[in-house]
Amino acid sequence: MKRWFLSLLGLVLISNVALALDGEEILKKVDSNLTPESFESYRKLINVEPDGKKREYILFTIKKGNDKVASLFLSPASEKGRSTLRLGDNMWLYIPNVGRAIRITSLQSVVGGVFNNADIMRLDYHVEYTVEHIEDKGGEYLLDLKAKTGAVAYDRLKMTVDKKTVVPTKIECYAATGLLIKTLHFKEMKTFDGSITRPAVIETDSPLYEGYRSIMIFAKIKRRDLPDEAFTLNFLPRVETLR
Amino acid sequence: MREILILTGVALWIWLFSLPAFPQSEYEFDLAEIEREIEKKPYSIGGFLEFEPILFGLDRDAALYRLKFLGRDEGSTVEQYNLGLRLEGSYQEDKVGIYFRTDGLLRYDYLGWDGEIDLLEGYLSMKPSPGLTVDVGRKVTKWGKGYAWNPVSFIDRPKDPEDPQEALEGFYALTADLIKSFEGPLKTVAFTPVILPVAKDLNEDFGERDHINFAAKLYFLLWDTDLDLLFFTGGSRTTRYGFDFARNLRTNFEVHGELALITDFERKSVDTQGRLSKRESDVLSALLGIRYLTTNEITFIVEYYHNGTGFREDDAKNFYRFVDRAYQTFLVTGDILPLLQGEQLAKETFARANPMRDYIYFRASIKEPFDILYFTPAVTSIANIHDQSFLLIPELLYSPRTNLEIRFRGAFLAGTKNTEYGEKQNDYRLELRVRYFF
Repeated sequence: MKRWFLSLLGLVLISNVALALDGEEILKKVDSNLTPESFESYRKLINVEPDGKKREYILFTIKKGNDKVASLFLSPASEKGRSTLRLGDNMWLYIPNVGRAIRITSLQSVVGGVFNNADIMRLDYHVEYTVEHIEDKGGEYLLDLKAKTGAVAYDRLKMTVDKKTVVPTKIECYAATGLLIKTLHFKEMKTFDGSITRPAVIETDSPLYEGYRSIMIFAKIKRRDLPDEAFTLNFLPRVETLR
Repeated sequence: MREILILTGVALWIWLFSLPAFPQSEYEFDLAEIEREIEKKPYSIGGFLEFEPILFGLDRDAALYRLKFLGRDEGSTVEQYNLGLRLEGSYQEDKVGIYFRTDGLLRYDYLGWDGEIDLLEGYLSMKPSPGLTVDVGRKVTKWGKGYAWNPVSFIDRPKDPEDPQEALEGFYALTADLIKSFEGPLKTVAFTPVILPVAKDLNEDFGERDHINFAAKLYFLLWDTDLDLLFFTGGSRTTRYGFDFARNLRTNFEVHGELALITDFERKSVDTQGRLSKRESDVLSALLGIRYLTTNEITFIVEYYHNGTGFREDDAKNFYRFVDRAYQTFLVTGDILPLLQGEQLAKETFARANPMRDYIYFRASIKEPFDILYFTPAVTSIANIHDQSFLLIPELLYSPRTNLEIRFRGAFLAGTKNTEYGEKQNDYRLELRVRYFF
């Protein structure tokens, strides 16, 4: 009886470990399907207000490895030249007029609207989150993700992943209190740079901003070898020269 | 004229809110069109057009009013109308680029029309590799981590603490930037040497002429902390050393500081007769500040600034009492000479921003309250710790449509007799600033 119980316990433990490994692997696959390890991209951000008014921004972004991201606003004219740098949990904002980079936080919004800095300068999901639970929902997986540290913008994510393409279709972002902060909807599959097939559009809504929507459209994603020096405070005013 | 100012504001507000909105519909986009938008051109040009009417409420008993409005009576308020044009552009070809930023200003006030055009920055930049950049020309370096003040900013003009985000005018210099990245706790090291010559018609307002000055900044990103060691030497100003740091203690809580040692500084003092004396000594200036973001998006910035080069409270009292006596002499005898002497003394001492020793800066800004997008109300205060006089600036910043920004703010000065803000020429100031970016 004792041996039977120990065998059963062992089986349960092994299956849980296997499940956890599956979840982590799926999350890593999601990350590698969304973006290559080192790349440049162009995105358009559109903030849509309840009355239909909208405001558009164009961003040039470079990313390298697990923790280096820099973004530069190309338009509108009022934001042009504004750039942000993320090195792990460190984030800086450079405003051309001010001429000095200031430290900012991941929850601040660079441009207003539903997107915040963490959305614009997101690191890979597997770098910031662990998979706590995975559920097979037929054609989709439902991943429950928990932030590894308190420095991450959203404490928990509920990520719905399409089994066939292994990219997210929906992500719900929660605060530590359990409050739903926003929902990201991934749409319009498109192939970039020959082999990166991923959703080109991320639409965001938030119960905190009733009636407002933000849309992020990927226009170009291209693999690129980038020097580490491009991700430094001194280089931040010169990100434009990498275009 | 004040009615014109108010009517301008009201009309502008009505026009902005009556702009047609886009219809509520599913947003459509065309990737090919976006690809055309992101196509890079070697050149760029942009800037903004600005209109800024200002109403000054005068303090006719203040020392600086008496010196500035010598023999003039302009009533209790004066207006000023500013029309500005900022032009900035660049041309980049492979590893070489040229950049410029200019300001044009046309002003009308009680003295009549006035105007100026300034080259704020204009330089050639060469980037042989991502780790090395060399710039030559007129450039702003902006060293330091402080928001309102930067005691370690050895080769820049001082910021206006009432508007610290505004662009400054640079000096002609040769600058290099060497950057090296690492893995581990030390992530970045960067070295920025600067050569700044001062000669006739070249950086003349920096300091003593006919010297080649050298400054340098060594930056480290170590254990997630920004650290800078700074240095300046040369004959135009005395040798000075600096240190600054900035670090996020939590994701929403940042702390920063600066320390500057200025050697052989010519410290000024004002005696009871309004005479200026100078004595050389080493002085320390320091700044300590925090930036804190609450869960409901209120950003607080608080800074303490010790200005080692500043005047003592006794100097200030001596100066204000001297001006008071000079004014009484003028009223009784009609002799204007003591007031002219006071005017000259003010230029060298108390007419500039924050001339004294210890200050506190406070700013609280709320991002998009009441679900009003692109609207940021804020309140700023600068207080002189010693004489307890202060400045209070409530502000409303709104961007009703892309590339249009409106700022309305007041500045209210409070202080008793013989205090810094109590003796400024204004009691209050109302400003409306409209900027259109292109």
